[in-house]
Amino acid sequence: MSEKTKRTVSLFLVNILIIMLIVYIGGPFVWMAVASMQGENDLLRHPPNLIPKNPTLDNYNYVFTGKIPTAYEVKGQLRSRISQEARLIAPALKNSFIVAITVMVINLIIGTPAAYTFARIKFKGKNPGYNFILASRLMPAMAVAIPYYVIIQTLKLLDTYLALILVHSALTLPFTIWFLALYITNIPREMEDAGLVDGCTPFQALTRIVVPMMAPGLVAAAAFAFMTSYNEFLFARFLTQSIKSQTGPMIIASIAGNPDASYSLISVCITLGVIPPLILAITMRKWLTQGLSASITFR
Amino acid sequence: MAVTPASIAQPVRRKAKLWDRIYPYLSVTIPFLVIALFTIYPVLYAVRISFYQYILTKPKAHPFVGLKNFVEVVTSYYFRTSLTNTAIYALAAVVGVTLFGLVVGMLLNSKVRMANVLKVIILLPWAIPAVVAGLMWKWILNSDFGILSGILYSLGLIKQYIPFLADPTLAKISLVMAHIWKEGPLAAIFILAGLQLIPDELYEAARIDGGTGWRIFRMVTLPLLRPILLIVVVYETLTAILVFDLIYVLTGGGPGDSTSLISWFAYAEIFRNLNLGHGVALAIIIALITLVLILIYLRVIRIEETVS
Repeated sequence: MSEKTKRTVSLFLVNILIIMLIVYIGGPFVWMAVASMQGENDLLRHPPNLIPKNPTLDNYNYVFTGKIPTAYEVKGQLRSRISQEARLIAPALKNSFIVAITVMVINLIIGTPAAYTFARIKFKGKNPGYNFILASRLMPAMAVAIPYYVIIQTLKLLDTYLALILVHSALTLPFTIWFLALYITNIPREMEDAGLVDGCTPFQALTRIVVPMMAPGLVAAAAFAFMTSYNEFLFARFLTQSIKSQTGPMIIASIAGNPDASYSLISVCITLGVIPPLILAITMRKWLTQGLSASITFR
Repeated sequence: MAVTPASIAQPVRRKAKLWDRIYPYLSVTIPFLVIALFTIYPVLYAVRISFYQYILTKPKAHPFVGLKNFVEVVTSYYFRTSLTNTAIYALAAVVGVTLFGLVVGMLLNSKVRMANVLKVIILLPWAIPAVVAGLMWKWILNSDFGILSGILYSLGLIKQYIPFLADPTLAKISLVMAHIWKEGPLAAIFILAGLQLIPDELYEAARIDGGTGWRIFRMVTLPLLRPILLIVVVYETLTAILVFDLIYVLTGGGPGDSTSLISWFAYAEIFRNLNLGHGVALAIIIALITLVLILIYLRVIRIEETVS
């Protein structure tokens, strides 16, 4: 075999491998979206249609407006119960958004100054404090889930946004502080020193000089905080009791946990639930990748 | 009396000094308090519970039982099963995730045009909630209506739908496949970061010396990737040991107890057997196992740093 054919063959094999990986990674998402646009009867066929025969947005319409899809009326009573639950996905995603965005803002507002202090200023108790913050993330969630419940109950915050915001902030702040402190350490110091000599306070140096330079780091930290909060399940399961505060993952898991679950409506809920993180993951791709790489290569 | 500029400036400066001294503490206080509230008290509380009999069906009686919870948990049949399951699972998941990360990382680092598509979608599984990932796979693997069986059936590869999640061995394999899908992307990004640190000149030099693909991989890429690979392996071991959300929705520890991993066992003790003392004792054991792993990890990193 000549060098050229050898290269063509290996390129061909590499491309086959890439296609298989694309199907493995992307397939489940595509199938959820496809399944959400089919009627229940079409989905339960052997085998189901990969390309929907009668694509319909009835399922989405039902979730948002309560108009029962024609495919359901045939099925009758049993199905309508679970369908009711599927309608909770819109308010649940609203809850998720409110909590995750608040957690994100809190991380930026109180995490950034703390990170700056740890990165730049010498003070008594700095190292123990920093190590404590990092070590706090090592507790397995299961061990502290019950104590968290007790704290939130004592604060009379069960089933409120504030409970989730507090817990998710405690979960995300250590990472934010560590990540941003690393980021700041990698920014050259000269500009701030000039500012400090000119009479800036450390806080002014941070807001006027450092923050504009660390914008990419802030974007990545914000996205991480948002995603961690949006995706968190275990504590949300403990601390929420009703649709007043239940989040997307909670509602999706509870709908799907119902043995009577309707396949197409679950697909609708899953599709709606993954759209926000997917948009984030695609649009913030560069920053997230850089952030993740930074977290493992700088030390 | 002449007012010198210095005497005016002095109080201002003293004030500034005081502010400078308070500022560091001020800036870390709130995050520190939030984190401390959800760290110190919960850990103390958990440790306390683990020494008492705490069964939720007997809400009035909480006698002190010393280490009895720990002894009962460790000597139980389930502990051994779940520990074995966790070990098998962690091994399969870590090997799978690392290989996946290595292959995808190298493809992302290559100049093959198709790899750009991978670049766009690689973060997607990582970005979504683990429970949702578990549910997506649950429907794909469903024994009556699952699309995976459906595709294999239409291709004529199988005569009957396969009950992926109802058979103990298949359930384990399915769980690991879903785990790789969810965790592999992060490993791929980490490994990509490591690959990008390897200077191109090294590859060129190896090629000039007559190295071929596999040999270059073994002699250049792998040794230089070692520190990152170690981090990935330890990180993924921790993730595999602590996996919960995925099991919660995908298999619920079953069939039988074939996918009951140690975190799931802790959950089941608390919420199925309502034995808080047992569950928390178990969680503390898990915490200690992870702590040991983290210490090994830090040790390894320090050794790597002194070597390089």
